Amino acid sequence: MDKFIINVIHRPELVPEYINTDAVEGKADDLGAEEVVGESLDIFRLQQDIAHRNGIKCTIQMTYAALYNDEAIALAKQYHEEFGDEIAHTFLGVNCEEFREKYGLKDPAIWLYHMDDKKRIVVDSFERFKEVFGFYPTSTGSYYMDAELIAFMKEKYPMVKIAVATCFEEGPKVFRHANNSWYTIMDGAPWTAWVPSKYNSQAIAENEEDDLGIVAVPHLSRDLLAIQDNAGDMFGTHPQNVIRGLINEGDRLPFQYNLIDQYQVMKKYNKGYSYNLIYVGPGWMGKAGRWETGYETLVKSYEDMMAYYGDLKKEGKAEDLTMTEFADWYRENKAINEPCCALWKDTLFGTKNQVFWYADSQMRATVEMKMGGAIVDLRPYASKLRRPVGAGTKANQDASYPYIVHSRYRAGPFVHYAGEGAIKSAKIRFGKEEVDLSSCRTTATYEEGDGWRKCILRPVTVEFQTLEVQIQTSYTFKENTGEIIISRKVVGSSDPTKKVVIDEFLTSCWGTTEYPEDLTGCTLSVIGKDGERNDLSYDYRCREFKTDEAATVEAVIPMVQTKVSLTPENEGCAGYYEEGYSFAPNLKIGVHKEIALDEALVSTFKIEQADGVNS
Amino acid sequence: MSQGITGPINYRCPQCLFRAIDYDLLYDKEQEQYYCRRCNWEGDESEILGYYAVYKSQYKHRLKRWTVEMIEAKDEEA
Repeated sequence: MDKFIINVIHRPELVPEYINTDAVEGKADDLGAEEVVGESLDIFRLQQDIAHRNGIKCTIQMTYAALYNDEAIALAKQYHEEFGDEIAHTFLGVNCEEFREKYGLKDPAIWLYHMDDKKRIVVDSFERFKEVFGFYPTSTGSYYMDAELIAFMKEKYPMVKIAVATCFEEGPKVFRHANNSWYTIMDGAPWTAWVPSKYNSQAIAENEEDDLGIVAVPHLSRDLLAIQDNAGDMFGTHPQNVIRGLINEGDRLPFQYNLIDQYQVMKKYNKGYSYNLIYVGPGWMGKAGRWETGYETLVKSYEDMMAYYGDLKKEGKAEDLTMTEFADWYRENKAINEPCCALWKDTLFGTKNQVFWYADSQMRATVEMKMGGAIVDLRPYASKLRRPVGAGTKANQDASYPYIVHSRYRAGPFVHYAGEGAIKSAKIRFGKEEVDLSSCRTTATYEEGDGWRKCILRPVTVEFQTLEVQIQTSYTFKENTGEIIISRKVVGSSDPTKKVVIDEFLTSCWGTTEYPEDLTGCTLSVIGKDGERNDLSYDYRCREFKTDEAATVEAVIPMVQTKVSLTPENEGCAGYYEEGYSFAPNLKIGVHKEIALDEALVSTFKIEQADGVNS
Repeated sequence: MSQGITGPINYRCPQCLFRAIDYDLLYDKEQEQYYCRRCNWEGDESEILGYYAVYKSQYKHRLKRWTVEMIEAKDEEA
């Protein structure tokens, strides 16, 4: 397969957030202001024209307001007839006079409404769509749609095939970036198209029974390295993102092309397929400019981007589909639980940094090469966490799929003063010296086979005072099993007669933000080769246990319905747990063994749903 | 003093930018000065642009074009 698919999605928002809001200037909240509606439609028309000029087909997501605007409706019909654009639906852009009169609500975010209001809006807007166009839409979207909303929509309108269901990694970093006022708190989903689970739309479905019934796509295609330590809203396939991040010089935005090209490279890690989308409203392209950038530059940035898409299409390197066409293609060509892979390289900061992302129905894992291949972000999809959001729910605005490792939110390899941060790594010991592999920068290669994907790190050198060893790490992801086979091999040594201890460990916690959550009641266990268990209920008392012959070590984090375990393949491995304390609110499990040259410590790291949930 | 207004260009606070917060500056037309309502930064346009230039320097390759072939070649780099 050699397929690079692009979706260009425009939404004729009539009261876009950036044009309408200007409290400082003293403008009143006027949802029907003719000049705003007029400018919005002009921008929508311009965006459509730019795409069509470059031979690109679009998906037009009609907002609630647009469904009550004769001109927007006429334009959509005209574009459909003339260019084959899809007339679709969106839950963004609900604010308009009709909506305000009917609901008396001001929330612009469908995902934050009470469920009863969500249901009313679904039925109301879909029926209005049918009234206007004579058919129901097959694609829709918002910045976020939880599983409960999608399930209701699918039950009422089974013809829906695809939705923009989340904004990739718009979690605490983006919230902070927007002065703690942009409520897309939604870390944890795949970065590209997936079939969402009935339990949680951010997780990939496990099988037909778990299939929520749509194909989901993220709001934008983002830079998978830049977003790790920066707000994602500066690094997406949307010129406004790039300009917001000041990654331009005047009207030059080469990063925009680099981003699209890197998404083409993703074919290499996904059996010849990759997907890229842009999803824009009119608000950022107003006459008044956006951020520090003037109108002309904004328009040119969009013209340049569409021209590049157009060139790729002409060269046969990209195929432009509508959202529904893409959903049909995905269903025909991809499994429900299709894994997503990305070996992403830095093209922006001038480093050799790389990061490997893996997602399937059991987990989303991020392997960071500049931390020696440590897993720095881990989301347990296997736990099938139900997490409805919106008013009246426990999660309310926090839609993020919880992590069990997050090395940036929760310290990782570097802490101030005491304890250890959350990370999945290994330590190498020789005598009384110890080196964490997370301090050994490296790069990686990728291999794939039937039922597995492999990230192979280039060997790193660990220097002790009297010994130097080279260690090579590999991660073999066994698709949709929750298992990662981790190998740490000694591939070189300054003294082949000497052995080093390799300590494979996980320091874990749970949460969705930077702040610690309660671990009381988590269980830590060491199971010996003789079958004897030693269990501990977490209570911040700094307790530890170790056995010299461990069969497996495990931890259960009931708050996220997750069990994790490490099972060594080698004989004679020690196993341990460490409880942690309030200044180091993590739990730790590990196995270790003395390893000689050309030997490896191989262990299975498994993530699974903890017993007794969702039954 | 009258209220601050959006300046001739809608700049964001450069000091806040460095700590990953987008916060629009206000403009005091009497003193011809921009100021931030969140932190304690104030200054003129040339100072803002100076900060922005430093901010951009984190993107060492912001003007470099990386093609498919160049990105793929990185796979071979140790």
